[in-house]
Amino acid sequence: MPEQINKEMLALLDDADALYHNAPCGYVSFLANGTIVKINRTLLTWLGYTADEILYQKKFGDFLSKGGQIHYEMFFRPMLNVSGSVKELSYELVKSDGSAFHVLFSAIAIRGESNAVQAVNAIITDNTDRKHYEKEILLAKKLAEGEKKTFQFLADLIPEMIWTAKADGEIDYVNQRFIYYFNLPEKSFSLNVILSKIHSEDRNIFISTWKANVLSGQDLHIELKLLNKHEEYEWHLVKAVPYRNEENQITKWFGSCTNINEHKRALKKKDEFMSIASHELKTPITSLMGTLQLLDRMKNDPSPKMLPNLIERANKNIRKVNSLVGELLNVSQLNEGQLHLTKTTFNIAEMITNSCHHVRTEGIFDVVVKGDEKLKICADESRIEQVLINFVNNAVKYAPNSKQIVISFEQQAEQVKFCVTDKGPGIPLEKLPHLFDRYFRVDSSGSQYSGLGLGLYICAEIIKKHNGRYGVDSQLGDGTTFWFTLPC
Amino acid sequence: MDSILKRNNVQVIGDGKQVMLFAHGFGCDQQSWKFIVDSFTADYKVVLFDYVGSGKSDISQYSSAKYGKLDGYAQDVLDVCAALNLSEAIFVGHSVSAMIGLLAAVRQPEYFKKLVFIGPSPRYLNDEGYVGGFERSDLESLFEFMDSNYLGWSSAMAPAIMGNPDRPELGSFLTSSFCATDPDIAREFARVTFFSDNRVDLNKLTVESLTLQCEEDIIAPLQVGQYVTEHTPNNSIIILKATGHCPHISEPEETIKAIKSFI
Repeated sequence: MPEQINKEMLALLDDADALYHNAPCGYVSFLANGTIVKINRTLLTWLGYTADEILYQKKFGDFLSKGGQIHYEMFFRPMLNVSGSVKELSYELVKSDGSAFHVLFSAIAIRGESNAVQAVNAIITDNTDRKHYEKEILLAKKLAEGEKKTFQFLADLIPEMIWTAKADGEIDYVNQRFIYYFNLPEKSFSLNVILSKIHSEDRNIFISTWKANVLSGQDLHIELKLLNKHEEYEWHLVKAVPYRNEENQITKWFGSCTNINEHKRALKKKDEFMSIASHELKTPITSLMGTLQLLDRMKNDPSPKMLPNLIERANKNIRKVNSLVGELLNVSQLNEGQLHLTKTTFNIAEMITNSCHHVRTEGIFDVVVKGDEKLKICADESRIEQVLINFVNNAVKYAPNSKQIVISFEQQAEQVKFCVTDKGPGIPLEKLPHLFDRYFRVDSSGSQYSGLGLGLYICAEIIKKHNGRYGVDSQLGDGTTFWFTLPC
Repeated sequence: MDSILKRNNVQVIGDGKQVMLFAHGFGCDQQSWKFIVDSFTADYKVVLFDYVGSGKSDISQYSSAKYGKLDGYAQDVLDVCAALNLSEAIFVGHSVSAMIGLLAAVRQPEYFKKLVFIGPSPRYLNDEGYVGGFERSDLESLFEFMDSNYLGWSSAMAPAIMGNPDRPELGSFLTSSFCATDPDIAREFARVTFFSDNRVDLNKLTVESLTLQCEEDIIAPLQVGQYVTEHTPNNSIIILKATGHCPHISEPEETIKAIKSFI
């Protein structure tokens, strides 16, 4: 049987006054204008005032900071008037010692006959502790939102197109790059639309591969041509890896599409180059074989007349092979960044005269050199010679009817400018920007002129290494000037 | 036209011919007029509306770019006037709406016959030679209180959080709660309101106007009301006995009398 509570104890519990004053919350009543007319002991203790200091002396707003007062006027009072009560507004009350504590403030309005609010009864609970948690939670929320934004930003702006798919393979997320590449309507994309962007040659292979991978859980790795927003197909490497949960079930696929178009094109170019290079090498070798056959036939009865000719022909072809192989070696050196310069100071006019000896001896072209015969420069002489020879050979090759080739050089401020000018047919404007590209040949059909399309590329690299500039000016029907500068 | 009426939740009530257009202040919506509109509906056609972002307006139409200036809100007033084909209306604007109405009337005076400003302030921040009533730090602390009341434990403002766009089923809570609004919009509206400075616009007003000034109002103190009446052509001032910033809510009778005496 429960213990009987004695009457004295009960009376104490029922004592309204004691309840009011000793309640674990603050009670306060004030008039419509805020003047406090009643306050309990708990709140007085919290605030650090006596009843006399407050009653009819202070208004409720006096315990609020200025910001709190604005809030009170803008929100609390209108809300109380309209709704008749306000539940748990969050404020800070200022104590007598100037410090503040956080409270939740609930109030009901006491209306007079005219329905106007005459007084306000309010309960105040100290929620300083909760405020700390609240602060933490708000901070955590802010951090989480910040993180979310960062990751969204990251996902959207990463250079790759990325996507995710559900366990069954249905794509459920694509990033901004993906949307941008295909020019999809924002946030709405369907698998069919995406499939329609795959080149018809690749589409069925993709669908069957993807289906098989989704079933088997193997990583996806496939190269496809995808239609971009400019209606051009570009090669992409499409990859996806499954994500498995703790029970080893696939719950998600994470995928990317990497643009490998440049890479694919470079590979294709390299293949083309291989076939040109083989062809170029084969020609002098075939010729050399012919010469050797002839020599073989006459080995027992060498004709003193033909012998020197045949040897010269063999030498010429060997030189050709040698120079082609030299070019290939140069390029592989350039690719590995192993082009080393050995700079000396030399006389430019002498260097040009020596280097163009071969053109002069062949006698078809008239090579004119213009420039200060005393001018010297510090550079890698053999490399610069290589550049000039290349420029001159270029002119010989592409302007066979020009007859005269002018090599000029002059000092301009801090640099020396070299020009090789011919009076040939000129080079079409659209080809000019590509002349110094690797594997570029003016006539892409490859039959008319021989060469690997490497000469000017090597020249450009040599000049760049010297911190010089290079270029070409050409006028159709008027001739072409290849030029470069070297700092002095 | 219908789209504007829907966007701004426009309500037209009353039997009179002369139109009265009531514009609510910051933090509330057209419900704040509920204690005084009945006194006007017999003789006037009363138009109530919510600014975009407040009350039952179409919140999807809110854009920070447009409503980052009081001009954006003034455009709402002009849009409502145009949609209802108003002319010579009596405009009653509370708090920040006083300046919004003033901006609207400066741009298109033909819509307005008279303006009533309740608790106007052309600038809330103190400035050299000008008492607005507040320092920047006071306002920062207000914004903090707003945030903590919108986002914290407070249940008075809680419905606003529940009005989450991802959970439309909770939307009815939002719209039924007075003063509840989208916290982000409220924050921007508060900044636009309290950092505005329309002192140079006062003397551009050509429409007759009245300032209703409460005796004791910490948001728009007496000096501010006097500044308004001194710098606005053809403006008169009535000092109300009501205290606080919302006399139309706390002392509706006195407010009605003062408005009627002017119109």
